[in-house]
Amino acid sequence: MILRPAREDAKLIGWGIGRVILGIGLIMTVPLVVALLSTEWDTVLDFLVGILACVAFWLFMEITCHVKKDLTWFHGLIVASGGWLAAMLFGAIPHFMSGHFKAYLDACFDLMSGYTTSGLILIQDLDHASHGLNMWRHLLTYAGGQGIIVIALTFLFAGTAGAFKIYVSEGKEEKLLPNVINTARAIWMISLTYLVVGSFFIWIALLKEGMPVARGGLHSIWLFMGAWSTGGFAPQSLNLLYYHSFWVEVVTLVIFVIGSFNFVLHYAVWTGNRREIYRNVEIHSFVTTILLGTVMLTIGFAKMGVYSNFGEFFRKGFYNLASGHTTTGNSTVFSTSFFSEFGFIAMWAVILVMAIGASACSTGGGFKGLRMGVVFKFIRGEIRRLASPESAVVSEKIHHVNDVWLDDALVKGVMFVIICYVVIYALGGIIGVMYGYNPSVAFFDAVSAGSNTGLSAGLTSPLMPSLMKVYYIFEMWAGRLEFISVIALFSFGGAMLRGRGARRKKR
Amino acid sequence: MLLAALLAAFLLMPGTAMAAEEVSVQELVANMELYDGKQVVITGEAIGDLLLQGDYGWLTVNDDAYSVKSLEEGGDFAGYTNWGIGVWAPAAELQQIHILGGYKNKGDTVRVTGTFNRADPEHGGDSDIHATSVEFLEAGYPMPHPFQYGKLLIVLVLLVLIAFLWMDRRGRIRKARRKS
Repeated sequence: MILRPAREDAKLIGWGIGRVILGIGLIMTVPLVVALLSTEWDTVLDFLVGILACVAFWLFMEITCHVKKDLTWFHGLIVASGGWLAAMLFGAIPHFMSGHFKAYLDACFDLMSGYTTSGLILIQDLDHASHGLNMWRHLLTYAGGQGIIVIALTFLFAGTAGAFKIYVSEGKEEKLLPNVINTARAIWMISLTYLVVGSFFIWIALLKEGMPVARGGLHSIWLFMGAWSTGGFAPQSLNLLYYHSFWVEVVTLVIFVIGSFNFVLHYAVWTGNRREIYRNVEIHSFVTTILLGTVMLTIGFAKMGVYSNFGEFFRKGFYNLASGHTTTGNSTVFSTSFFSEFGFIAMWAVILVMAIGASACSTGGGFKGLRMGVVFKFIRGEIRRLASPESAVVSEKIHHVNDVWLDDALVKGVMFVIICYVVIYALGGIIGVMYGYNPSVAFFDAVSAGSNTGLSAGLTSPLMPSLMKVYYIFEMWAGRLEFISVIALFSFGGAMLRGRGARRKKR
Repeated sequence: MLLAALLAAFLLMPGTAMAAEEVSVQELVANMELYDGKQVVITGEAIGDLLLQGDYGWLTVNDDAYSVKSLEEGGDFAGYTNWGIGVWAPAAELQQIHILGGYKNKGDTVRVTGTFNRADPEHGGDSDIHATSVEFLEAGYPMPHPFQYGKLLIVLVLLVLIAFLWMDRRGRIRKARRKS
């Protein structure tokens, strides 16, 4: 049981969250500049309000919550989980003020979807949205992919010993470099380099399709941010279908597959360890599960007979399967097509790969390839143990930069997180079914939210019940933070309440 | 004789004029199998970009509530993102379109007649319309975005609040320094 937090604990957490919100305000300056350059004065005011609200909150927290103490593990967990919720509330200000959301809840939904790189949307009339708003939508998913905490660490937590604690609390357990601040900066260096290169290739593909130079430039940056962060946002309501372009699809496919890989793997390859690509357990896991998904998709498509040649299979089938597996959510079909054109088997192929998801310590969600690798090796080890003489010592290892031997604690930890994912997926599906949605559609969107994918089979819309919106927000948040920080936040809340109850009894 | 001539004229009439059915994009998408390969007519706003590729090009046509009055113009919430579809048409037909819908403009209104494809084999399985004609109905226009004084007031209030908080924080820092 967690001890009742002292006032100092609450202050320290408030101070940390204030810094995270200041980070959000700083990021908002980018869409503000875009709105200014595009002479979108209405949007300029929306972002000014957003930035000033963030600054005011930060100052308030600095004044009221200043404590001379460093963060502990527990504080780090609460700052991460609470910081994401606060970032959602403050980040939604420009969204709501844009007039494209009927309710603040809808704006918060899109914010959480963006930060968690999910990609589900409730925005209305997206095709008439401003450049400033579109820049914010895509930038927040790009920033969220690297981790809001990573941003805060890069600029605002420098020098604090508690930095590593909140870094880990955001679902990134691995460090690239011994110093966590340098790790955060290395993550940014990798992402910004890919931003320049990836946007250039998308821009060339867009120009080839007849897109004007300047708009092509903006769209290429937005599409890169959506693909790299595995967020799946796009500036037009038809998503990737808007461009009707084989090359745009190929380039974004490459980007989101690379983006879904572990930052540790990226760093190993960048520093010359290219063999790691062939040896890493997550690459093995990804290749195996995408092959199995492709087989399932092929059977489903053969049964339906809608997409019959290789080109159609690649652009409508494999692209969306890979988008689902990497938890991206870029799509080349209408959302209802997953149900009506894909058919039951192909639709469930996408659901299963979405549930598995991308790599650990990446921008993606889901169980993660690393955990799938551990589970596979554990099952193989158990089978080998059963088939071996009683005196035989059977042990299994996985390769993830270094060789790691499986032990009970590791397997238990992995199983716990996988079970948490299964529970939130199942609950989401059941709630959908209870509201009268088709079971396949309900599970498709619930798994999509929980694994931070963003593909929709048509359920997610501004007209969906509010309870489902709230639950999907929870799914996206808990799935992105991989539960530990979320459980810590609930425990903290419980401990606070217990404390109040105890105080009342004393009186 | 007259009857025979009328019958012949009827039989020789182009298929588009005979069978084209006016539908909404939402209905098309919901009933892809039913409309697959059929002549359809959609009327709506030209949106986004013209993607011209030689003699042909892509146009996106939205026929939802926002194509009549967008949220930027003060339209009502309809409960969806947008309903639009890609139209593959001869470049000559597309060049009559000058204003495309977006944040600043209400796009030209067009009527598209063509064949709906559930999975277009020519374009990698896209669900689209191959247009035989794109009729220009109404010119688009720049949408007014009147300055929002209410929002400006919020900005000013927040600036005052920040100034107050900033001074308070500075005072506390000075006090702490003096103490130490």
